[in-house]
Amino acid sequence: MKRLRVCVVIPAYNEGRVIRGVIRTAKSAFKKSSHEIDIVVVNDGSKDDTSAGAVKAGAIVIDHILNSGAGGATATGLSYANQRGYDIAATMDADGQHTPEDVVKGVAESYERKLDLLIGSRLIDSQGMSRVKVLGNKGLSLVTYLLFGVNTTDSQSGLRIYSRRALEELRWKTSGYEFCSEMIWRANQLGLKIGEYPIQAIYTDYSKSKGQNNWNAINILKNLVKRRLSEIFE
Amino acid sequence: MRYLVLILLNTPIILLALLNIVTQYRMHHMPRRWFYRQLLLWIIILAVLIGSFPVYNLVIGRPVLDSIDLSAFDIVEITAVIFLFYIINDQRRKIEHAERRLRDLHQELSIQLSSNKNKLS
Repeated sequence: MKRLRVCVVIPAYNEGRVIRGVIRTAKSAFKKSSHEIDIVVVNDGSKDDTSAGAVKAGAIVIDHILNSGAGGATATGLSYANQRGYDIAATMDADGQHTPEDVVKGVAESYERKLDLLIGSRLIDSQGMSRVKVLGNKGLSLVTYLLFGVNTTDSQSGLRIYSRRALEELRWKTSGYEFCSEMIWRANQLGLKIGEYPIQAIYTDYSKSKGQNNWNAINILKNLVKRRLSEIFE
Repeated sequence: MRYLVLILLNTPIILLALLNIVTQYRMHHMPRRWFYRQLLLWIIILAVLIGSFPVYNLVIGRPVLDSIDLSAFDIVEITAVIFLFYIINDQRRKIEHAERRLRDLHQELSIQLSSNKNKLS
């Protein structure tokens, strides 16, 4: 396999407690692979020491001037990866929910299957996930299918791998968590090749406290419907 | 006569909307997909407006669809609705454009400022 330049984007908001650990484990996982890796933390206007912690752990840090939401922070990170000419980019959550080994696996799979957008699905094997989370995520995937006509098992997963083409062409409008579904829709509209692969999700007390609750899910639903309706007149 | 007034009042608004759409598309400010959707939308509004008189003639006298003739108030109301729709649609497009540019600016500023900071440190 070709040696690739990989940019791992980690959007982070008030993750000072765990960000160093996440960066260090990601770095050590990629050391075992043949790829050249840069870790980019997009600090989305955190009020704690997320930025300083990420710098100490050896990441490239982009500080957002304003808090823009997960969608905005991800867009900034991927825009950076596009500008710097990386071959492949990956996004992962800052709360330690994803294993870096899954990111390395995803990069290899995306390259071999020639995919433009590869989504790490927690629901292909949902062991360890609470029933409420499984139901909520399945519900949002169903909504994504009904509104946008794209079928995925885990539309809200933050672990995704992007090809060079996706970095150049993929754009979305929403800036909150609903960007996860909108991104899949836009990728489908652009005719990008979308795939999925199973990943493991690690739920600690910390990641549970940071994760999306039911009200977030309702907010995502509301914003997705709004986005879909407003696009009818575009 | 009243139907003619309705058409005469609203056709300029619809033509203005169509002109806006074509100009935006020609200036590459609007993707082709949006252009066709907008075009279709305003052509439908125009068709409904022009077709309102023959449709009224067709339904008059039928129990369920029977209604009184178009009043002067109806003309004002329909014209206001179409005009408001034109304004809302135009403003929404401008807001979305401004939002996108603001987000791009924020993104670019954050990247540039962080690059400068990384170089200095």
